[in-house]
Amino acid sequence: MSKGARLVKPASYTALVVLLFLVPLFVKGAYFLHILIMAGIAIILTSSLRTIATTGQISLAHAGFMAIGAYTSALLVMKLNFSYWVALPLGGIAAALLALLVGYPFVRVKRVYFAMLTLFMGAIIRLTIMEWRGLTGGTSGLLGIPPPNSIVIPGFLNIAFDSKVPYYYLILALVLISLLFLHRIDSSCVGRTLLAIQQGDFVAESVGINVTRFKVFALCVGCFFAGITGSFYAHFIKVLTPDSFGVLQAIYLVVYMVVGGRRRFYGAILGAFILTLLPEFFRILREYQPFVFIGILLVIIFLLPDGLVSLPEAVKSRIKKVPEGQS
Amino acid sequence: MLEIRGLTKYFGGLSAVNNLDMTVNQGEIVGLIGPNGAGKTTVFNLITGFIRPTKGQIIFEQSDITGQPTHSIADKGIVRTFQLNAFLQDMTVLQNALVSCHLHPKVGVWEAILNIPGYRKKEQYACDHAMDILQFLGLDSVKDELAQNLPHGHQRLLGIAMALSANPKLLLLDEPLSGMNAAEVRESLTFVNKIRSAGTTVLLVEHNMRAVMELCDKIVVINFGCKIAEGLPEEIRRNKDVIESYLGPGEDVT
Repeated sequence: MSKGARLVKPASYTALVVLLFLVPLFVKGAYFLHILIMAGIAIILTSSLRTIATTGQISLAHAGFMAIGAYTSALLVMKLNFSYWVALPLGGIAAALLALLVGYPFVRVKRVYFAMLTLFMGAIIRLTIMEWRGLTGGTSGLLGIPPPNSIVIPGFLNIAFDSKVPYYYLILALVLISLLFLHRIDSSCVGRTLLAIQQGDFVAESVGINVTRFKVFALCVGCFFAGITGSFYAHFIKVLTPDSFGVLQAIYLVVYMVVGGRRRFYGAILGAFILTLLPEFFRILREYQPFVFIGILLVIIFLLPDGLVSLPEAVKSRIKKVPEGQS
Repeated sequence: MLEIRGLTKYFGGLSAVNNLDMTVNQGEIVGLIGPNGAGKTTVFNLITGFIRPTKGQIIFEQSDITGQPTHSIADKGIVRTFQLNAFLQDMTVLQNALVSCHLHPKVGVWEAILNIPGYRKKEQYACDHAMDILQFLGLDSVKDELAQNLPHGHQRLLGIAMALSANPKLLLLDEPLSGMNAAEVRESLTFVNKIRSAGTTVLLVEHNMRAVMELCDKIVVINFGCKIAEGLPEEIRRNKDVIESYLGPGEDVT
């Protein structure tokens, strides 16, 4: 690779990030920023779910772990007067600790049984929130969650969370940090080990990989970022109800991942971005979301099993094939 | 180096391995043979911790490894291959070998994720090591192929490459020659000899008698989980019990 080619990638990433930072300057409507913020939330959730899925386990408790982060952070701020900036990481840590607790027994079962266990885990979290009315407000919800504390550096900076713009920058920062971290996992030997566990856990074990530990590690990392996202969500929406963290939400995340392409790091990002934006532009899609998603899912599984990220390659090989067939 | 004392494994009421004693000395190639269902693979599963013995002890380099988890036994230096092609289908040949390289030198999870200085050097070292192994087994020309696209002979060698990349002191080969043609068998025999010359002790299960006789310094024969003979290839060849139980009465081994 020439030096010039090696610089193209970092340069285009930098350009993309700069562009993302400039978005609020051009987009004046609060509605559109709101959609972008929700897309950012979906991107972190889906990418962190993918890290868990790299080991071959599909978790259906991701929305539940997001709820753990959301309620932990909101309650710390509301009941114990924590600063939001302390409660944010604590939301992630709470979700990761719960993942650590249930992880060791959970990862011993495989595939569909793991999915079943996590499905129940998500349901249990939701039920606990619903029943623990004194703390969580139950089904009527936790209301009046304050926005993040203003960032003040006297005489220099004063950012108050009184419009969508600061939220946009906060989620952008969270997305960048999360993706950077998750990408490091993916591209280092850790990601290779996680993939090896998916492809043949007994082979991996036989060459000295502590399969259980790595599976739990992936689960904890994934749930940490779900918790962080939950914390952001709580102080952005300002109302938490158990219904926001249902089974369907968890399954949507799996759909985002599969539609985008779970084998590639960028697949989860692309899937989450496109599938959260799409229903916003076509109102009918939102009303019949499960129908539409089942359609999209079927089309992807049959025509593009490696997801939307593989579209360019699929098109390329199609174009190549045609002249060969004609000649 | 490896000492097995009174190893016994019951599956339900059936004994798969019964009171087995055997030793493998440093630098040897030892063959473990017996008819189908004699319990050879069970012995491998017991040594590498895939299953726990009902009774008995497994001593490796003076320390008791009985019942330890597979990954820590691999860490101590015992690595096995599998009868069926066991490798990582959807990863390249080089990636397959690299997966095993993380034991030596050890790479910490956070060290890798945070990309702290020293990680790159270790990764480069692992890469060189994996390439050396692939070159040794003649797989370097297909290093970027997906493992699932390799021909059968190469896939068998890839299993061995994965095991060797983990730098074992004792390598357990489970029917390394099955499904190979004559030329591939010859080639594999030289590989096993070279592996031993490089300092790795080998214990193998194999049905190809000619190859076992030629390759092994010592042979242990089991039937119905019990040891029925142990000795030099010459002795085994003439042992009446072995000929009868293993090859059927009235047949010549050679």
